[in-house]
Amino acid sequence: MTVDELRFLPLETNSAFENMAIDESIMNSMRDGNVPPTFRLYRWKPSAVSIGTFQGMSEEVDLAYCKRKNIDYIRRITGGGAVYHDYDGEVTYSIILPKGHRLVPDDIIESYKVLCSGIIAGLSRLGIDSEFKPINDVIAGGRKISGNAQTRRHRCVLQHGTILLDLDVRVMFSVLKVPEEKISDKMIADVKERVTSIREMLNKRVSINDLAAALEAGFAESLDIELIPGSLTDEERQYVETFRKNKYSTDDWNLSR
Amino acid sequence: MKKSTYKVPGGKLLKISLEENNGVIQRIQIMGDFFLHPEESIVELEEILVGAELNQNKLSETIQSFLDNPDIILIGASSADIAKAIILADN
Repeated sequence: MTVDELRFLPLETNSAFENMAIDESIMNSMRDGNVPPTFRLYRWKPSAVSIGTFQGMSEEVDLAYCKRKNIDYIRRITGGGAVYHDYDGEVTYSIILPKGHRLVPDDIIESYKVLCSGIIAGLSRLGIDSEFKPINDVIAGGRKISGNAQTRRHRCVLQHGTILLDLDVRVMFSVLKVPEEKISDKMIADVKERVTSIREMLNKRVSINDLAAALEAGFAESLDIELIPGSLTDEERQYVETFRKNKYSTDDWNLSR
Repeated sequence: MKKSTYKVPGGKLLKISLEENNGVIQRIQIMGDFFLHPEESIVELEEILVGAELNQNKLSETIQSFLDNPDIILIGASSADIAKAIILADN
């Protein structure tokens, strides 16, 4: 049996604007048949908040706080909710596949389930039992540990998502727009009942690199793929520059809602 | 500007921002953490709703006929949920 090969872009750190530009650029090049199916791992520096494509930026994000703390804010091309991407607190992945690939069932929720199995296998390698929770979450001990979002365009599917390594609920509440009087101990307790992290599940620190290695191995194993280390093509790099400059770093895009 | 927030039971959060005149929608934004494919079609839906009467059943029908297009997929909310969120904003 032939194992499918995917190009693998190993863990790297970029600005929010570059990260989102890279995901869209890969889709563009894949549309033209110029790049193979791709899996990438990345971090965000400075730390950033990304919102779903249908969310209102000022509805969800405390922009004044972000500016004060040098936290970037960005609108994704995918739906779903707001995510705080702490530089030290999470790893993000994206997987881009042509439609019709065996890993992409037509049914969207079914395809979340297939692709999220890579996260579940990765967490299992770290000693954490987790499961897929429709629509787009992975939960451990009944609480969310990973959120995911998908778009389908250019005859391709892009899914990206975050895996929480560590979570500071107070910082998250400062970035996301929650009226100050509501940041009560009760509310923090509520969130802690719904969201967890690797550190909390294991009661010990796991390094970013260990999480990245577990995800790489987990995706390869559960999706039965071989990850071949590679890099962006010149064409993709040109797209990245264009999307970064003309889309993702602009108020026109980020504040469009 | 009238606003509402509606958590769909078992689904996503809808946030509506609305301007109306004599019970007719003048301007509307449908926001939230739902999924709509293709994403750009949200603008089309909002345009269809401009000029619509603020009647929950009629809104639900209008939204549903938009969603009957097999190329458009809404996940995490239904036409009835969006109609309900719009009426909540008006009240």
